[in-house]
Amino acid sequence: MIKYGHAFVIGLQSNLVYRWNYAVRSLFWFCHLLVVFILWGAAYAGNPSIGGFSFPRTLTYFVVVFVMQFFVGAFNEDYLISEDIRNGLINQFLLKPINYFAYRLSVFSAARVVSGAFGILSLAVALPFFIAHMDVPHEGWRIALGVPAMALTAMIQFSMAYCFGMLAFWFLEIQGFVILSMAVETLLGGQIVPLDLLPRSVFNVVRFTPFFYQAYFPAAILTRAPAGREGIEFALHGLAIEAIWAFLLVCLAEAVWRRGLRRHTAAGG
Amino acid sequence: MISLSHYLRIWLASARYSLIRATMFRGDLFIWSSVELFWISVNVIMIDVIYSHTATVAHWTKYEMLLLVGTSMLIQRFLMAFFWSGIFEMGRNVRSGLFDFVLAQPGDPLFMASTRKLELDGLLNSVVAGGLVIYSAGRLGLHPGAADIALYACMVACGVVIHYSALVLAMSLAFWITSSQGVEGSYFTLMEFSRLPREAFKGVASVVFVWVLPVVVVSNAPARSILHGFEPLWALGLCGATLAWFALAVFVFRMGLRRYTSASS
Repeated sequence: MIKYGHAFVIGLQSNLVYRWNYAVRSLFWFCHLLVVFILWGAAYAGNPSIGGFSFPRTLTYFVVVFVMQFFVGAFNEDYLISEDIRNGLINQFLLKPINYFAYRLSVFSAARVVSGAFGILSLAVALPFFIAHMDVPHEGWRIALGVPAMALTAMIQFSMAYCFGMLAFWFLEIQGFVILSMAVETLLGGQIVPLDLLPRSVFNVVRFTPFFYQAYFPAAILTRAPAGREGIEFALHGLAIEAIWAFLLVCLAEAVWRRGLRRHTAAGG
Repeated sequence: MISLSHYLRIWLASARYSLIRATMFRGDLFIWSSVELFWISVNVIMIDVIYSHTATVAHWTKYEMLLLVGTSMLIQRFLMAFFWSGIFEMGRNVRSGLFDFVLAQPGDPLFMASTRKLELDGLLNSVVAGGLVIYSAGRLGLHPGAADIALYACMVACGVVIHYSALVLAMSLAFWITSSQGVEGSYFTLMEFSRLPREAFKGVASVVFVWVLPVVVVSNAPARSILHGFEPLWALGLCGATLAWFALAVFVFRMGLRRYTSASS
């Protein structure tokens, strides 16, 4: 475990080098929230309720989704992993008693600690502007279940990014796949519209996919979903499915790694 | 003084090389075309979902909104096709020192850096975005004449110049900060405002995003020209914004270039 602790510390240091990138991202996160505020503010003008949502609840949902991404989002892990493979940097891991998944997870955790700090800073700046328009629930169990849901979401996002990064064993260029999947994840993860606004049949299918747990589910717990999904039963049931998805994706990541290594040719030093 | 025809020849050579390269990697072309098509679809689905719960947003109906989003997409696809790859790589090349190669080429560094690649997938998807505009105009029962279409095309061209300037400004940060990785995402975030109708902006947001930043005028002006005909104030605003932002982008790029120190040995 000590070696992964060191990887975490090195990850912290290397991510702090890029603090200005996070600062710029945070600034534009604020712009993204403004887009939501303006668009949904206009949509709700004259409509007190849309699909069981009020404007304050919609805004709260998006604030939570956006802030959460600072803590759980696998922004460029897929790219970093693919670069390791393409440039032969994984060779050094094959010769040492280091599990590449655990190493990358350590670096990912460090990156999220740094970006999470910027997320909190961004929230501190944004809240005075938006708090009057928000509807924050106060039930304690939402935090108690929301935090593990976020941890599982981080694992799902990381494992998926890891699998996409592994595609570099088979393809020279993987960014196309990554951005293609990002479009699907953004939509089905509830980052564009709360999934409750989708047709019921689509919602019922999406809730059994991993995308549902990439943003929507923890945000729905923390912000109170519309009637029928606002209770603790929905949260517990979802947590069970989310844990299964996290486990399956970690297994898939390991399987893809083993399969990919069979194709890997270590050349050079 | 290097003539315009010299630059045209350079651009045609780059375009020819890019097209040959695109046809060599057909799988890649298919994937990237799908990527852009998916993102257009995501936006259309978002509009569809919102309008399944409400009749108007800021007094814009569903197909008016689709026309606006289609216009915004069209501008962005043209940017992707003609300039994106070159400017995106500029940020990385500044960090790695590979920007030296651009400086050694026979032309203005900004031109050489930003027109190196022509992306066929962006061009293909501009057809899809154009199709969305035509479909929306059809559903609205609009029949624009040749002059209206020419005006719309000019305004879209101005929009491309503004987007180009915004992207150059964002990527020029690479001259000052350690890495511009992720900054391109900021450009996309800022341009999200261009998919919103002007009427949705109120108070400070109206001042900032309509009058100070060109993100609203860039798509609203061409869309309104199709919806409501020629509006001199919008046309003037768009032309002014185009000139101002292009000048600012060139100025900042040149300032950044002064800071550039080759990273190679």
